[in-house]
Amino acid sequence: MRTHFSRPAFFEGVRDIAPMMLGVIPFGIVCGVGAIAAGASPIAALAMSMVMFSGAAQIIAAQLLAAGAPFAVILLSCLVVSLRLMMYSAAMAPYLRPLDYRWRALLSFVLTDQAFAATLQRFRESGDVRANASYFLGSGALLWVVWQFATLAGILAGQVIPASWQLEFVVPLCFLAVLTPLLRDRVSLLVFAVAAIAVIVLDAMPLRLSMICGGLLGIMAGVIADKMMGVRE
Amino acid sequence: MSKELTIWLLIFAVGAITYAARLSFIAFFARREMPPLLAEALKHVPVAMLTAIVVPAVVFIPPGELRLDPANAKLIAALVAGAVAWWRQSAVLTIAVGMIVLWLLRYVVG
Repeated sequence: MRTHFSRPAFFEGVRDIAPMMLGVIPFGIVCGVGAIAAGASPIAALAMSMVMFSGAAQIIAAQLLAAGAPFAVILLSCLVVSLRLMMYSAAMAPYLRPLDYRWRALLSFVLTDQAFAATLQRFRESGDVRANASYFLGSGALLWVVWQFATLAGILAGQVIPASWQLEFVVPLCFLAVLTPLLRDRVSLLVFAVAAIAVIVLDAMPLRLSMICGGLLGIMAGVIADKMMGVRE
Repeated sequence: MSKELTIWLLIFAVGAITYAARLSFIAFFARREMPPLLAEALKHVPVAMLTAIVVPAVVFIPPGELRLDPANAKLIAALVAGAVAWWRQSAVLTIAVGMIVLWLLRYVVG
């Protein structure tokens, strides 16, 4: 593993992803708050961030846990929100192919929205796989460490602040901050409308299945709308 | 099964799922292209799933009563926060405005 490692590239990766921490820290805090609100112990709440290392999966797990959803439904919902990681994996795969399995296993673990966005450009431009891998590892490592500290801050906040403040409402607000800027085209608005109506209408479904079913109906509406618009063009 | 044990099982099961998704094309299907239908569906996952998470948290008052009227403080707070998020793409500002509106409606207005 050492033979591939480039210290300057590693720290370059750390430096380049540092500005993104401004967006990551509030999200990590929200994950800590959400886990505590769902009834996790502080250790378990931190373990969620260390092992799952995915804000979307952690939040949806916490929300469904709080709502009393069964284990299988939580797993299925986390699987759907994790599909996006497969997209990053597919985009990164050609560049990581020359590396040995240990490097690929390690870099896969720190593959996130932010690390993907920060490093893909460099992989496209530079053919130095060894330096690129270390750069990617640097970005991912900083992100992982900052994620743990942000979660810890959220865990402390979740324990200290009284329940009457309704701190758990920061969770939907945080998602709203990500969601709203995405609603810029007609197909996205349609996906939003279908998912919103479906999740309300299906609320009476057993086992808290409404969230996953509403989401899947929204995705289907989007795929169909894309197809129909493609035909018209 | 105790809640704590359930949470720990969940941590490792979901951890395995997220890691498998990350490894998928890098390790398991390294020589394959992503199926086109999957790629098309993936584009819509963020909007669809975020909506499915946010909407119930805003329009339902525990224990599950649908409230689409102005007396629902969470609905108003979310609409204001959504407008802020549209105007300035800042998570911190969106969360701050949303919480302040919620507290104002709850404790100041009544």
